[in-house]
Amino acid sequence: MSIKLNVINLEKSEYTGGKSSLCPGCGHDQISKVIIQAAWENGIPPEGIVKMSGIGCSSKTPAYFLGKSHGFNTVHGRMPSVTTGAAMANKNLLYIGVSGDGDTASIGIGQFIHAIRRNLNMVYIIENNGVYGLTKGQYSATMERGSTKRKGQPNDQPPIDLCKMAINLGCGFVARSFSGSKKQLTALIKAGMSHNGMAIIDVISPCVTFANNDESYRSYGYVKDNEEPLHVADYIPHFSPIAEVDIPEGEYKDIELFDGSTLRLETISDHHDTSDVVAALSAIHYAEQQGKHVTGLLYFEADIPTADEVQGLVDIPLSSLPAELMRPSRAKHDELIRKLIG
Amino acid sequence: MSGFDYVITIGGAAGQGIATPGNILARLFARLGIHMYAYNAYQSIIRGGHSFLTIRCSDHEIRTHGDVIDLMICLNQDTMDRHLEHLGPNTSVIFNSDTIEPGKAADGVRLCPMAVTEIVGKGANKLMQNTVAIAVTCQLLGIEFKALEDVLNFQFSAKGEELMAMNVKVAWAAYEHSAANFKPASQQAPKPGRPLAVWAGNQAFAMAAAGAGVKFYCAYPMSPSTGILHWMAANGRELGIMVRQVEDEISVICMTVGAAHAGCRSMCATSGGGFALMTEGVGAAAMMEIPIVIVNVQRAGPSTGVPTKTEQGDLWQVLGASQGDFPKLILAPSSPLDAFQTIPEVFNLADKYQLPAIILSDLLISDETSTIDPELLDMHPLIDRGELITEVGDEAGNYERYKFTDSGISPRALPGIPGYEHVVATDEHMPDGVLISDEYTHPHKRRAMLEKRQRKMDGLLADLPPPAIVGDADAEVTLVGWGSTAGVIQEAIGQLAQAGVSVNHLHFKWLVPFHADEAVQLLSSCKRTIIVENNYSGLFHRYLRGETGFTVDGHIRKYDGEPFKPHHIVAAVQEQLEGGETLSVPYEEIIV
Ligand SMILES: Cc1ncc(C[n+]2csc(CCOP(=O)(O)OP(=O)(O)O)c2C)c(N)n1
Ligand code: SF4
Ligand SMILES: [Mg+2]
Repeated sequence: MSIKLNVINLEKSEYTGGKSSLCPGCGHDQISKVIIQAAWENGIPPEGIVKMSGIGCSSKTPAYFLGKSHGFNTVHGRMPSVTTGAAMANKNLLYIGVSGDGDTASIGIGQFIHAIRRNLNMVYIIENNGVYGLTKGQYSATMERGSTKRKGQPNDQPPIDLCKMAINLGCGFVARSFSGSKKQLTALIKAGMSHNGMAIIDVISPCVTFANNDESYRSYGYVKDNEEPLHVADYIPHFSPIAEVDIPEGEYKDIELFDGSTLRLETISDHHDTSDVVAALSAIHYAEQQGKHVTGLLYFEADIPTADEVQGLVDIPLSSLPAELMRPSRAKHDELIRKLIG
Repeated sequence: MSGFDYVITIGGAAGQGIATPGNILARLFARLGIHMYAYNAYQSIIRGGHSFLTIRCSDHEIRTHGDVIDLMICLNQDTMDRHLEHLGPNTSVIFNSDTIEPGKAADGVRLCPMAVTEIVGKGANKLMQNTVAIAVTCQLLGIEFKALEDVLNFQFSAKGEELMAMNVKVAWAAYEHSAANFKPASQQAPKPGRPLAVWAGNQAFAMAAAGAGVKFYCAYPMSPSTGILHWMAANGRELGIMVRQVEDEISVICMTVGAAHAGCRSMCATSGGGFALMTEGVGAAAMMEIPIVIVNVQRAGPSTGVPTKTEQGDLWQVLGASQGDFPKLILAPSSPLDAFQTIPEVFNLADKYQLPAIILSDLLISDETSTIDPELLDMHPLIDRGELITEVGDEAGNYERYKFTDSGISPRALPGIPGYEHVVATDEHMPDGVLISDEYTHPHKRRAMLEKRQRKMDGLLADLPPPAIVGDADAEVTLVGWGSTAGVIQEAIGQLAQAGVSVNHLHFKWLVPFHADEAVQLLSSCKRTIIVENNYSGLFHRYLRGETGFTVDGHIRKYDGEPFKPHHIVAAVQEQLEGGETLSVPYEEIIV
């Protein structure tokens, strides 16, 4: 049997990571697998990727994927600001952030908001189980009101919907998915990688230990029965000619991504217009009212200036500026001194 | 020490249910009036890894998990492989021989293989091996089956009759098998005595606060402080305590300050990382003169560090927390009981002097499970809220919130009392609360207000008991410690006495303000001083030297995450006496 290689001639094993220490069946592990698959199929050189995370079971997962990429496990809730610093110092790497709902929606909510507002160029994946897994299952700020974890009282606080928030903040790529919907999630993560700017992907990822009972709105069973995909998502990479891809029978829409790849969205029942903020918000709103989880690409807008573009960062990463560019030129230097002399 | 003193360990992976046999044994010993102290070595993982629970039981009160292992229960192969070769003669090893292979054991180690499937019958639940192991343990120790049966019924009562009966049946089969096949343990349990209670360290903090009249508690979960939140969440509603789980520690401290300002006793708890986020709020409480109590349960740092391991590493963090120079109270209790008995006093002092109080606990104290004499637990301590104005009085209309007084204490009116309206602010202010920071920063006013605040420290210091030496005043060596090391130092002193070395003990609990004069006097009277600390660079010694100018003769330090065992200190003292070493760093034998 021949070994399969990707476009840059690497085997998939070049993209795997260490052995997971999460609970068997944890949704987070499925997301790690999808990240591996997506990076491999997209043919991204592992050394060109930086994995960023905070603290939590979810934030531990970068140890379990892309073992040959760089990584930065930050402190709790501060992944977005550390990523901002890193991305400013070297904008030529692909930043993939993995966070939890506690890490993002509780302690890190301010950071999340400002990273979106800056339009930091990164893929921001929230592995959202509605609980703080690592500290043993307390409700987090994304858990639905009335949802009940194992051995617990029903949650009495209303949830923060991170997708709604991201859309309202003007994020150009907002998607929701489910760790159990492998095909959709793979397409969305690949598309996020091809996007220029902040790509928020909120992934429902059941915590099998603390919130996988039937009364939890974030259990496998519940999400399987109540997932409402907006469309079937297919990713067509820029290196495989789109003309050779079969045209779907029904209605569909192609979204062109920054690197020339395409995200093809095949309509399921009603057509969802990904360029319409109001449509995106109402899709979330109606699903929420009915206790459903709407998934797919909710909102897309290309060409929003990214943080590095706004900052006017030069093409050479700051981290590798040559010595002569790191300080004022001789002429500038002399001029400054002259000014002091007056 | 003669008498019954026996150490049981249970090893397995997280998720294998170590907690349940641990709880059953703890409850069993407590009911029999046997003292118990349990320490769990584990990792930040929900399933897997290696957890190693040490349960020491004794006919006298114990404050450490001891030096040796007398019995080991292996719930998985890993436990057997890691520890068997370190076990000495007469140790009993209980394991499920269906799934675990014994390894190479020292002479005299007593292997107790249990063919669990055969004993339990087909289709039995995996966790039954735990019940089997407990039953064998009881039998080896000569504990009557009835006592175990009662505790099993108690433990499984919530899970239904069927499971209860099943566990008792399995336990009995294992008990009989053990009686027929294995030699009794090297020691036999004493006759039952007056039953004791069982508690966990964090419970002591929470119960003490509830007893002291806390009405507002909030937290963001952070190991090893989460136990306080869990106790509060479980009991708050019934006790009329407002318990909030908040989005981050910055909000936690701000809510605590707000609730305290409005008039209720307020507390929050966290670990070092969370405390770091709280620091700005600590200074805010000091500036506005609002009494709050913060518990910082230290874990091994820096940063995320080792969340499940102990360390006394945050001393300078709490000493320096928040900008500026301001009054505060800092203490480090030495045990759950000490915390329980001291916390009401801490609330009284915080109220009296209107300042932030920081209690430094650590994983060792907060995470321990131990027996406690229930008669020592009084949840109705004296509550003294200090100079608090709760109704209209003579000063109505002329009230000055930050009035200059000799003591520095300005009577505090709660918001909402007519005639006592005032503004509190984090800017510097005048006695009436008007800010002096924006229009004119009058140096004399600034000086007067700063001195008023700081004067409170004089009264506070006078209210704190001075340090004292425990033991023989003429001892050859004085062991100096602070916080959680008190128990292990005491036990080491007992062992050293048996070896003919006389050692006494100087322990510090109240850290800020500090009784420097008394400390110098005591230290100067000692023949040889050795300081024991759970950190790398002698953080407390540096503080002590700063406050007293006194330099101790030797150091014993440990910073590998595991707590000291008595013999570590004994060996270090001997090494320093004989070899003239001045720094000993004991080696940890148990690898988890
Ligand atoms: C400042 C600070 N406070 C608290 C903690 C303790 N802590 C670690 S992970 C975590 C929550 C993790 O929840 P989430 O981000 O949802 O991740 P999950 O484990 O559910 O994947 C908390 C509260 C910490 N590490 N740092
Ligand atoms: S506790 Fe929950 S989130 Fe954490 S590893 Fe286990 S299943 Fe996953
Ligand atoms: Mg979570």
